[in-house]
Amino acid sequence: MIKLTSICLALAFCLMSCNGAQTQVDDPKIFTLQPFNQNAFIALKQQKLGVRWLMVVWSLDCPACFKELALIQKLQKATPNTALNVIYINADDNIDVAFERKQVLAVYGMQNVENFYFTDGQADRSRYLLDPNWYGELPRSYFVDEKGVFHGKSGLLDEVLISNWLLDK
Amino acid sequence: MMNFKKYINLITVVSVIAWLPTSQAMIAGHDHQAMMAKQEKATFDNKCKNAAIECAKTVTSAFAPNGDLWRLWVSNERLIAQISQDNGETFSKYKVLAIPAEKISARNENRPKIAFDNTGGVYLSWAMAREKKYTADVRFSYSHDYGKSFTKPITVNNDKLLAGHSFNEMLVSDKGDVSIVWLDGRIAHQLRKQGKKSKGSAIFLARANVKSTNNNNPAIFTNQLLANDTCVCCRIAMDFNQQGELAILWRHIYGDNIREFALLTLNQNEDKPKQPYQVSYDHWKINGCPHQGGAISVDEQDRYHMVWFNQGDVGKGIFYASSGDQGKTLTKPISVGDLSSQASHPHLNKNNDKIDIVWTQFNGMEHHLMHQRSFDNGKTFSQAAILAKAKNGSDRPFIIKKGNVSYVSWQRPKQGHWIKAL
Repeated sequence: MIKLTSICLALAFCLMSCNGAQTQVDDPKIFTLQPFNQNAFIALKQQKLGVRWLMVVWSLDCPACFKELALIQKLQKATPNTALNVIYINADDNIDVAFERKQVLAVYGMQNVENFYFTDGQADRSRYLLDPNWYGELPRSYFVDEKGVFHGKSGLLDEVLISNWLLDK
Repeated sequence: MMNFKKYINLITVVSVIAWLPTSQAMIAGHDHQAMMAKQEKATFDNKCKNAAIECAKTVTSAFAPNGDLWRLWVSNERLIAQISQDNGETFSKYKVLAIPAEKISARNENRPKIAFDNTGGVYLSWAMAREKKYTADVRFSYSHDYGKSFTKPITVNNDKLLAGHSFNEMLVSDKGDVSIVWLDGRIAHQLRKQGKKSKGSAIFLARANVKSTNNNNPAIFTNQLLANDTCVCCRIAMDFNQQGELAILWRHIYGDNIREFALLTLNQNEDKPKQPYQVSYDHWKINGCPHQGGAISVDEQDRYHMVWFNQGDVGKGIFYASSGDQGKTLTKPISVGDLSSQASHPHLNKNNDKIDIVWTQFNGMEHHLMHQRSFDNGKTFSQAAILAKAKNGSDRPFIIKKGNVSYVSWQRPKQGHWIKAL
């Protein structure tokens, strides 16, 4: 199992980084990608009230973010019967990276989970809306408890911490 | 039920934003706003087809020795430049520089650089993204005729590896001696190939004098390792000291992901670089990307003035300090800006008897370009003042110098480039 997971991870990294146009996802179908704004945030929090979830903010310019995406992907693969309650936000507020963003979502198996992105030129506004005490360092993760209280942490998360939070251990 | 604190200590609790009601009036208002936004977008997109500066995320500015102000940005993989002969009041028609299109990095901390010599030479360096994620080469091109023509771009890093080489900074002496530093991933690349773990990037220095070079006789840059284990995503800062030596400030990785600033002077009488001095002690532990480098300016008495940003257990926010002995000892850091207003991205310059610091703040709706000045060599600073505002996002601000006058260059995406004398 560990070996299989390693192979999957290696393949995912290769798709991300080996970048040859042939090896990349040409037209990734992302079904749940929407702009992050106040209404979306309110709706999201309302929808999630009563359950525990994880919000992960990532960027194309952040190598540690990809490690975190890979950790969550690995956990999801290890628990195929449990849909992990994770919401992703891409912090690249740049219209030029739309395709690259979708490629990442496809590579890390995030096509069918809820994804948001900061709209062009709105990174700071979106960040402020999310958390006025966050200064843009990445990855940034929020552990949201059943009462809707956000616990923010900057930097790559520990694998055990992710697992314990999402699997309610 | 799991107690979250059982697992993690370094956590901030964010208050939950109150639900907001939605009314029909708000919806109608939104429709009108959406229509207006669509029209604005169409106008903006049309401008961007023509490489308008408003469309750029980043702008690089510098004064040439003849007093011209150059500003530089990237559009459709080309370098675009404009010149102002009245300190930024008006600019010439923009010019697409005679350099073939390539994937020029121009966002956040990573952007092209421009410098000049005193005989009409124009020097450009940038990072060119390669075919693999997080790989790039540092590129260089030179114009001997003040920008009319440029040499064919060459790659500055000499390792020929598909690895990270970016976040380039460049200084050029009056005589045309070029110094380029950058964050280099060649050591990490080799370690990974050996199955070993790496810690961040390294800083390399390239040097050359290119004035006698041309396309048939291209420049050859030396490559020298200056430091290993540096942050991978924060810009480097560099200035000449009074001996013409390079003083370099960067975000280093100490111990287990403690991100602090380090300072190194490349003394002329030393064969190899000495150990850099640690100059910040804010204890920011993060296995990630701060995306915030520092700034350095050396004055006529060889005092090094520095600003940086940290979010550590000990120090949070922007700090200013100076050193009279190349970083061995430091003045007590002074806090700058309003942390609760997202004070970040500081830059500074020492010019005669004045030290100017600029940075940005954000109030949830708009960015403010902030400024404060010291007349007593950094002992005290004036009250912070707002210089300008941006409504659609903000680039990092930079102070550039023309003789005794300092100017602030601040790109405001979708709004316009702002430049004014301090």
